[in-house]
Amino acid sequence: MSKSEKKIVLKSLDNEAFEVEKAVALQSQTIWVMCEDKCVGNEIPLENVTGQILAKVIDYCKKHAVVDGDGDESSEELKNWDTEFTKNMDQSTLFNMILAANYLNIKSLLNLTCQAVADKTKTIDEFHTFLNIENNFTPEEEAQICQENLWAFDD
Amino acid sequence: MEQIQVGDSNSGGGISRNDSIVVVGASSRFETLPEDCISMVISHTTPRDACVVASVSKAVKSAAQSDLVWETFLPPEYASLVPRSLNCSSKKEVYLSLADDSVLIDDGKKSFWLEKSSGKKCFMLSAMDLTIIWGDSPAYWQWITVPESKFEKVAELRNVCWFEIRGKISCGMLSKKTHYSVYAVFKRTSNRSHGFDHTPVEAEVGFVGKETTKKFVFLEPGDTDSRSGYRYSGVSHAAVSRAFRTRRPWMLFPREEVEAERKVGSRNVEEPKERGDGWREVELGKFYIDNGGCEDGDEIEISVMETQMGHWKSGLIFQGIEIRPVKRQEEEEMVTK
Repeated sequence: MSKSEKKIVLKSLDNEAFEVEKAVALQSQTIWVMCEDKCVGNEIPLENVTGQILAKVIDYCKKHAVVDGDGDESSEELKNWDTEFTKNMDQSTLFNMILAANYLNIKSLLNLTCQAVADKTKTIDEFHTFLNIENNFTPEEEAQICQENLWAFDD
Repeated sequence: MEQIQVGDSNSGGGISRNDSIVVVGASSRFETLPEDCISMVISHTTPRDACVVASVSKAVKSAAQSDLVWETFLPPEYASLVPRSLNCSSKKEVYLSLADDSVLIDDGKKSFWLEKSSGKKCFMLSAMDLTIIWGDSPAYWQWITVPESKFEKVAELRNVCWFEIRGKISCGMLSKKTHYSVYAVFKRTSNRSHGFDHTPVEAEVGFVGKETTKKFVFLEPGDTDSRSGYRYSGVSHAAVSRAFRTRRPWMLFPREEVEAERKVGSRNVEEPKERGDGWREVELGKFYIDNGGCEDGDEIEISVMETQMGHWKSGLIFQGIEIRPVKRQEEEEMVTK
C-alpha cells in the first residue's frame, strides 16, 4: 500500500476537510462500508456532520486507534481520557456528537456520549431542563402514565 | 490535527458555526434526536429512571418503552430463565414479570428474579440446594412441604446439637459491580422454637479460598421482657463485647450479658426481621462482585452454624438463603464509611 492510500480525507457539511489515517477513519462503520464499496475516492463527503463536531469525532478516533493498536482497549488511561473528553461538553455538543456517532456508526462513541447525557440527567427536573423537553401530555395522560409506572415514583 | 481548509468554508469561530449549522437539523432539543438515540440514552439510566422519564413527553415515552431499552436491562441469559408459558408482547413486560415474580430454575432448587429498580439479579437457594449437616436423618431434620414456600420442599429442624447449614453460588450468575447481601430465610415451626433464644449463631460469607466476613446472628429476637433488662456491670459488658469481636466461646457468658450486648446494637450482631410474607430473615453477610473480576469457577460460600454451645435446638423451618443487592441507601452509607 502506498503512503497516499493510507490517508483519507473527510469532508464536513460546511466543507472543512480533515486528512486522517485510514485506520482512524475506519472505526466508523459507515466510512468502512463506503470504502469497501469503492463508491468514493480518497475524499469522503460527510453531509450530516459539521466541521466542529467532526474534529471532535476524529480526536476520539485517533485516541482509540492508537490505544487499540497497543491492544489494551480497556485501560484505565483510556477510560479517564473518555471521561475528560465528554466532561465539559455542553448539551448541544453532546446531542450533535450522539447524532454524528449514530450516523457514522461508531458504537463505542455512541455509547460514551449516550452515557454522558444519561449521567447529566439524574432527576426528572434535570431531564426537562437539560434535555430541553416540552411536556406535550395532557394532565390526564400524564396522570395515567404515572399510574402505570407508579412503583418507579416511590422511594 | 491535520486540518485543511477547503472550498468556501467561511468558518469563523467554532461556536457560532455550531449554532448555525447543526448536524441533521436543530438538535439542541432531545426529542429531535432519532428515537433510537433517545432509547440509547435511556438505556444508560436505570429501569426505574426509564419508567419515570416516560412521563416527560410523547416522544420520550415511546423511546423509553422500546425493546431496545428493556433488552439492556434484562440479563443476557434471560431467555433461558423465563418460562415458556410467560407470554409477553414486549421486553418491558418480560422485565416487569421477572421483577414482580420469581421463577424457579435449576430443577426447582433455586429461584431467580430481578430487583425492580435496578434490574440486578437476585437468587434464593432453596434448602434442597444447601448442605445441611444431619439433613438426611429424619430424627434431626425433616423435609416437608408448606404452602407459603416457593419451593417444593423446605427443611424442618426437628432437633440437633450440631447445627450447620452451608451454601454456594457461582459468581458468574450474579450481576457485576454490585454489593450483595445474603440472608437466611426461615420461620418457627409452630409457636416457638427451642434453643435459639439468647444463642448467637455464627455466620460466614465470602469467596471460596479467600478471606470471609464473620459475624454473629440471632434467629430469635432478643428479650422483650423488661424484667431481664439492663442488668449488667460495665466490666462484663466489656468482656462480652470483646467476645463478640474475638469470637470467643459464648458459654462463658450468662444470658443477661448476651442480651445486654444485643441491646446496645453491636455492629457484629445481626437480629432477625419479619419479612411480611410469613417468613423471617437475618443478614448473614455481604460481598461485592466487581466489574469482570470474577473468574470461571469463582464461588461465594455461605455458612450458618451453632456448634459451640452444643445444646439441643429445634423448631425452625428453613426455606433457603437469599442473595440480593444491598439497598441503594445502605450502599451509599457503606461508601461514606
